[in-house]
Amino acid sequence: MNPSANSVVYNTPNYLDAEGGVRSWLFTRDHKRIGVMYLVLTTSAFALGGLFAMLIRIELLTPGPTIMSAMTYNRMFTLHGVVMIFLFMVPAIPGIFGNFFLPLMLGAQDVAFPRLNLLSVYLYLVGATIAVWGMIQGGADTGWTFYAPYSTTTTTKVVPILLGAFVIGFSSIVTGINFIVTTHTMRGPGLTWDRMPLFVWSIYATSIIQVLATPVLGMVLLLVAIEHSFGFGIFDPARGGDPILLQHLFWFYSHPAVYIMVLPAMAVISEVVCAFARKNMFGYKAVAYSSLGIAFVGFFTWGHHLFTSGQSAFDAGIFGVLSMFVGIFTAIKVFNWTATLYKGAIKFTAPFAYVCGFLFFLVFGGMTGVALATVSLDVHWQDTYFVVAHFHFIMVGGTIMAFLAGIHYWWPKMFGRMYSEGWALVAACTIIFGFNATFIPQFLLGNMGMPRRYYSYPAQFWPLNVASTAGASLLGFGFLLVLVYLLLSLKYGRVAGANPWGSRGFEWNTPSPPSALNFPVPPVFTHGPHDYQDRGPGEEPSPTPPPEAQHA
Amino acid sequence: MAHGENAAGFEEHHGTGRYVAVWVALCVLTVATFLTSRLALGPPWHLLVAMAIAGGKATLVALFFMHLWDQPGANRLVFVTSLAFVALLIGLTVLDNATRFPLTNPPHEQTLRFQPPGEEPHVQEGERGQGRPGAIGRPAAEH
Ligand code: HEM
Ligand SMILES: [Cu+2]
Repeated sequence: MNPSANSVVYNTPNYLDAEGGVRSWLFTRDHKRIGVMYLVLTTSAFALGGLFAMLIRIELLTPGPTIMSAMTYNRMFTLHGVVMIFLFMVPAIPGIFGNFFLPLMLGAQDVAFPRLNLLSVYLYLVGATIAVWGMIQGGADTGWTFYAPYSTTTTTKVVPILLGAFVIGFSSIVTGINFIVTTHTMRGPGLTWDRMPLFVWSIYATSIIQVLATPVLGMVLLLVAIEHSFGFGIFDPARGGDPILLQHLFWFYSHPAVYIMVLPAMAVISEVVCAFARKNMFGYKAVAYSSLGIAFVGFFTWGHHLFTSGQSAFDAGIFGVLSMFVGIFTAIKVFNWTATLYKGAIKFTAPFAYVCGFLFFLVFGGMTGVALATVSLDVHWQDTYFVVAHFHFIMVGGTIMAFLAGIHYWWPKMFGRMYSEGWALVAACTIIFGFNATFIPQFLLGNMGMPRRYYSYPAQFWPLNVASTAGASLLGFGFLLVLVYLLLSLKYGRVAGANPWGSRGFEWNTPSPPSALNFPVPPVFTHGPHDYQDRGPGEEPSPTPPPEAQHA
Repeated sequence: MAHGENAAGFEEHHGTGRYVAVWVALCVLTVATFLTSRLALGPPWHLLVAMAIAGGKATLVALFFMHLWDQPGANRLVFVTSLAFVALLIGLTVLDNATRFPLTNPPHEQTLRFQPPGEEPHVQEGERGQGRPGAIGRPAAEH
């Protein structure tokens, strides 16, 4: 059965109570506390990014100027993009769930380098502080893509924003290295590679991209900052530089980075699908290896962002074809998740509602991605709201859905309390509906030719923009709802118990919240993950693995 | 990867002799770079020779000063993989540069020219080797 820690009496305190005081948090090396710190930091960043988003949508409520100047609008979409991508999307799921659950799933005491782990939090904090300082100084107006020559000549405070993102990059690299080494060296007895939970596989693939790609981002951000400060001619054609070179370097990171954002989402979904369909993952190996396939192929597609930038037609053709391969690996996953649902004993809970949302948005967003990778179509859609809708479908619809699925699924494990299931379902419906209302109009707007990053637009685009802003308000309201009932549950929620979902994930074989030491004795793994095999027809699987004698 | 108790030699400390030998080799190669630069080999050979020597030096540093020579295979594989990704980044970027519509390239830039299959030749005469840094007089067609 699963690692059998159930029979062991835990007389060690849980990780939240183990030590008191602020210092014990600031200097903690416990991966679970570090996960909680990431939870607080990244959701704060999400709130900040969300605030910018709402200001953008309010500005676009009417065709002309509404609440801000054109310059302020430029700053708003830049800050929204920078905060959401570098401060939330990239660090959130690995930082929170990766830190908290990877060692638990591996039967390990902690990650391989606990001190480096703490360092990654502080690097994140330093980077975020520099970036926020830049925002207070006035912010930048270049867009999160920092295209030259505008980014190297703008008079706004682009340098602190660049340096902030640069420092956060190190946090990402450190986390990646830590997870790779942990996965290689800290697996519990019996936990072979083909028994690893799919969450671990996907986080592992993410870590490889983080380590390989992030240095290129660091380099290019630094070059832009240097050129902006000292006037070197690296990217600015007026000084003999090559602006397309910047786009190559930027997207060599940033395309793989979209998989840094979405692979962890896929990691969460694989766990949640099994837990609520009460079935083994259909095609475990295909799902596991397709994570590595995505990580690999993701490096060969960056040029699809340069189709209209002046890249050679020859390169564009190559990148267009290579981009389509990513769709194959993504489709493998989607088919396997769906096949897992087939004849499952589905429990329609809030996490499962987000899984449904995820599947729909990922397919829709992915298909529009493949369409965009067709050069002749992209010439029409490039830099319109169609692209904005594409990546929001994937990033909000994919990553945020998975983030919400994960937070609802693991909340009882992390904090030992249940939230209100009724409110959670109401919020899930609000968010999923609000999301569609926000971004489907943007597909239509983009297809009609509305360009992105403009603060005013012709009157014929008005109705759809109103619809989009209304949807965004609903979306924002849904997020607030989640925040409120989750916080309330910490105090008033029902005590969850070790395994309220009856999940067979390895991490559920600990008390909730887990003990500070994770496992009193190293768990022995004798079976694969998501092990619902023994379920007879129509019969619920036993909620927790039967307490087994402690071999080992 | 368990702890690298591989073949003998790992963790073993070498005398200074090996480092001195590598250092001398690096010095010799540096002088070689300087001397070949005087030979006025002309494009593309000047670049190729210089890069070959530089690559050799980097290999020596990685193998001996960074101890890859003594490492187990997995660590060498990691190193080689990362090199493959650097090659990917540079390769496809240079390929873009070499197959672009020539006017898209910055003035006075020294670029390779490469004819993609099935395309009309671009303005080509005198392009190769033109526009060394500081050189004036791009082909008239490009102004
Ligand atoms: C089937 C896989 C995918 C394909 C083929 C694909 C293709 C594309 C293409 C061709 C563009 C450029 C559109 C343009 O600017 O004209 C694009 C933009 C974008 N995609 Fe995707 N995509 C895929 C999946 C994803 C995923 C999984 C994410 C994020 C998690 C993502 C995030 C983005 C972002 C952020 C941009 C726009 C960046 C910007 O210009 O600001 N894409 N995608
Ligand atoms: Cu891309």
